[in-house]
Amino acid sequence: MEYHFSFPYIWGAGPDLMSGLWMTIRISLVSIAISVVVGVVGASIRVFQIPVLSQLTSFYVNFVRSTPLLVQMFFIFYGLASLGMPLSAYWSGVLSLSLWGGAYNTENVRGGFLAIPHGLREASSAMAFNKFQFLILIALPVGMRVSIPAILNTSVSVLKNSAYLQAIGLAELTYVAMDRVAMDFRTLEMFAAIGVLYLGLVLLLSFAVRRLEYVLQRPYRTS
Amino acid sequence: MDLIIESLPLLAKGLLVTFQLAVLTLLCATVLSAVFGLMGASRHWYLQAAALVYVEFFRDIPLVVNLLFVYFGAPLVGIPLDPFSAALVSFSSWGGANGAEIVRGGFNSISKHQRESAMALGLKPWESVCFVLAPQVLLPIIPAFTGLFSVLIQATSLASLVGALELFRSSQIIVERSTMMTGYSPAFTVYGVILCVYFVVCYSLTWLSKRLEKRLTDRASAGRNAQKLNQGAAESV
Repeated sequence: MEYHFSFPYIWGAGPDLMSGLWMTIRISLVSIAISVVVGVVGASIRVFQIPVLSQLTSFYVNFVRSTPLLVQMFFIFYGLASLGMPLSAYWSGVLSLSLWGGAYNTENVRGGFLAIPHGLREASSAMAFNKFQFLILIALPVGMRVSIPAILNTSVSVLKNSAYLQAIGLAELTYVAMDRVAMDFRTLEMFAAIGVLYLGLVLLLSFAVRRLEYVLQRPYRTS
Repeated sequence: MDLIIESLPLLAKGLLVTFQLAVLTLLCATVLSAVFGLMGASRHWYLQAAALVYVEFFRDIPLVVNLLFVYFGAPLVGIPLDPFSAALVSFSSWGGANGAEIVRGGFNSISKHQRESAMALGLKPWESVCFVLAPQVLLPIIPAFTGLFSVLIQATSLASLVGALELFRSSQIIVERSTMMTGYSPAFTVYGVILCVYFVVCYSLTWLSKRLEKRLTDRASAGRNAQKLNQGAAESV
């Protein structure tokens, strides 16, 4: 079978691809933002060892990390609907991606909190800070510096995993491409296009991560 | 719950396919990761560059896109793949990229002196890799590979997207069939049970990986302590 790679076809699909890309970026940014909040809250619960909540958080983290994201999405999208609480594909996506990213971020932020020198903790109790003040004034500024690279890596994963959402019919980048493939059978063109777009997005973000790591290490550099 | 018990045979078959797919993928991915990990740890820039391109390419493009591309793209080059083989090819290349990073990390963590000593002893490059470096890398990377296996089992759920009849696909069939027949969707229960099955399998692997890691570090620190004791003994004499 002859197959002619057609660049004009990709240009023709441009508007569709851009709307898909925009949806991918939008849902990723919303989910990343929520997952960071979930991560900070979860890590605080774990670090301060709040009785029951700490065990629950630990279970949540382990459960999410040991189950496939795709099944979680189906559980949320179809499962909640079968209980009579239907969520749209968009909000199911946000919910599942945020829960997934939140589990990883809980571990990331906890790693940062655990890296806080013991002296700072003692100093804060010597200054009669309560837990909340310790969290806001010391743990977050010092600990987040350590965990931000890991958080950004998780964010890159959230962006990549947003492609799973095509399975529940959200019109993001992969879905748009598959839709066009189903209509026109221009498989190679479409996959080349979304491959380049994803690669570009991820490389851009990873570059930013590396740059940020460098900047964040600045206060600790001696020379 | 009756529905679950009724459809146990289908689920068991699905779980078996999931395991088959995961194990075969792990085998292929291990070979790929050994090759590309070695290339990444080599001192030739062109080998390093090739490994870097491979690893970045497969890790940065979402696995879903990779899988759909292999499944729908393969017929265009004249080799139509069935869902299982397409998933195998796609997951192996992806797992190989992840494994290559583990192997490369293992090789880079070995002190430079080992490599230099092997060279000084007149070992050929392949001899120094096979007899000096590889035995030291093998043990420390086992926990990471156990973790990779757990990730691969989770990844196999994606094979349902191209229609491979693994655990998740069989649960989808159960949900769809029962919705058709009774008009009431058991999605919550069925997907909940499936989540628990994945959790039990993958969490035990994670647990195993943590345990192995702990044992290895214990052993390493025990080794160091023994060394210290010996040094102490030598000094006191």
